[in-house]
Amino acid sequence: MKHTPLYDFHRKHGKMVEFAGYDMPIWYTSTVEEHMTVRNNAGIFDVSHMGRVEVSGPDSGKFIEKLFPTDIGKQPNGKSVYTLLLREDAGIIDDLIVLKKDENNYLVVINAASRPKDLRHMEKTGSGLNFKMDDVTEATTMIAVQGPSAIEALQPLTPLPLAGTKRFTHTESTVKGIRAVITRTGYTGEDGFEIILYDAASGAMAVWEALAKSAKPCALGARDSLRLEAGLPLYGSDMDESTNPLEADLGWVISKDKRSYVGQPALAAIMQNGPGKVRRGIIMEERIPRHEFKVTDQSGAEIGSVTSGTFSPILKRGIAMAYVKTPASKLGESVKVVVRDAPSGGKIVKFPFYDDSLYGWKRKPHQ
Amino acid sequence: MSNPSAYKVLDGLFYTKEHEWARVEGGTVKVGITDYAAKTLNDIVYLTLPSAGQDVKQLGTFGTVESIKAVSELYSPLSGTVTSTNQELVNHPELINKSPYEAGWIIELRPSKLEEEKMALLSPKQYEEFLSSLEEEHH
Repeated sequence: MKHTPLYDFHRKHGKMVEFAGYDMPIWYTSTVEEHMTVRNNAGIFDVSHMGRVEVSGPDSGKFIEKLFPTDIGKQPNGKSVYTLLLREDAGIIDDLIVLKKDENNYLVVINAASRPKDLRHMEKTGSGLNFKMDDVTEATTMIAVQGPSAIEALQPLTPLPLAGTKRFTHTESTVKGIRAVITRTGYTGEDGFEIILYDAASGAMAVWEALAKSAKPCALGARDSLRLEAGLPLYGSDMDESTNPLEADLGWVISKDKRSYVGQPALAAIMQNGPGKVRRGIIMEERIPRHEFKVTDQSGAEIGSVTSGTFSPILKRGIAMAYVKTPASKLGESVKVVVRDAPSGGKIVKFPFYDDSLYGWKRKPHQ
Repeated sequence: MSNPSAYKVLDGLFYTKEHEWARVEGGTVKVGITDYAAKTLNDIVYLTLPSAGQDVKQLGTFGTVESIKAVSELYSPLSGTVTSTNQELVNHPELINKSPYEAGWIIELRPSKLEEEKMALLSPKQYEEFLSSLEEEHH
């Protein structure tokens, strides 16, 4: 099994599990405690297992245009853009963040388990173009600092004035003297930063330990419950190559006027007909929905199935992401989730599951 | 974290290999899950409990306990009739994590074959040895 540069800390303080080929912590103290700390203060996550690929060279802009349904060419330098890699038939190969440093320099952050196939797809798509792809995953460390107090936790370690940065942008700077890209993004629904450190040894550990003084180390369990509560899909669970962007409720990443990228013709047809099923949130009256549980309408007719489910520590209820047949997918609709043979009541709701005036990066500042 | 002695095992209780405990209290028996089970599940957030009056069989399921991540079946250490369930757990399932052997008890039952069936359960020492063997498998 592979280790991240922060492995020694995890092994000493966490409960370890295998995740995408890495030996990673599932929790340090308690998933609920870690979850609540990120919603109320700040938490840090080792996300070094995620793939990081630099794209540079004269044709890199053309290459990026060909790869993604989002018009990254129109975005200003310094943007961090959430987008998708698509097959010819518009099936989702991966979801990812593209950091546009400038027209000829990009940093692409991909899912750990998808890294080999993403690289193959990218190489194939880029054939004939003059650019360079550099997988810097092993040479770097990636740490997410998330929560309403993320600025306070990270600011002492970097000269970059963090309060002056915008959501979904990034800046090259230093953290504890180490070269770093700091992007104001994350996978928790909260405000915060993801730091890509150009160090994969003791320097990275020193950054982690310094951050751990003011932010709580959080592990994969909390990462999953936080992203689910925020309505963010998990690649491999909530979507895969058999899912298209409209089904995944990610139509917003598609730039309507953009042409000539992989998957565009197929996507145009899908957009004309509309998706047959769509990813939706379900909040339960009681019980906890889990992966593969069936969703039915009030009469018991099957209308879909759950792709991820958990107990929401904020709402104190079971919540799920599910794919539901489009005609039955209206917000507010009452549905049933079959929990071990017992149909249990729930309602289709919008994402995020929490009240976004109270939690998440859009929350109103405290008076 | 993976040291078996990190898990509390109490004297005077009977144990199952599914990590439940039974405490004989006069004519009734209290049942719960062990410190090992509670720590392995991590945060317990939800329970499905039987109703009083329901009959359970030795090593038959009587409910479920759920963490954020996983669902786990509950197996009864003994056959009998459920006399009550711990109502405190409905709003505070975390009591099982805080106090698995006391405040976190789950059901009380009136056993039907106590003398015969307790022979099939583990003593505290046997349960400790069982925990050690589990940890060895993982290393």
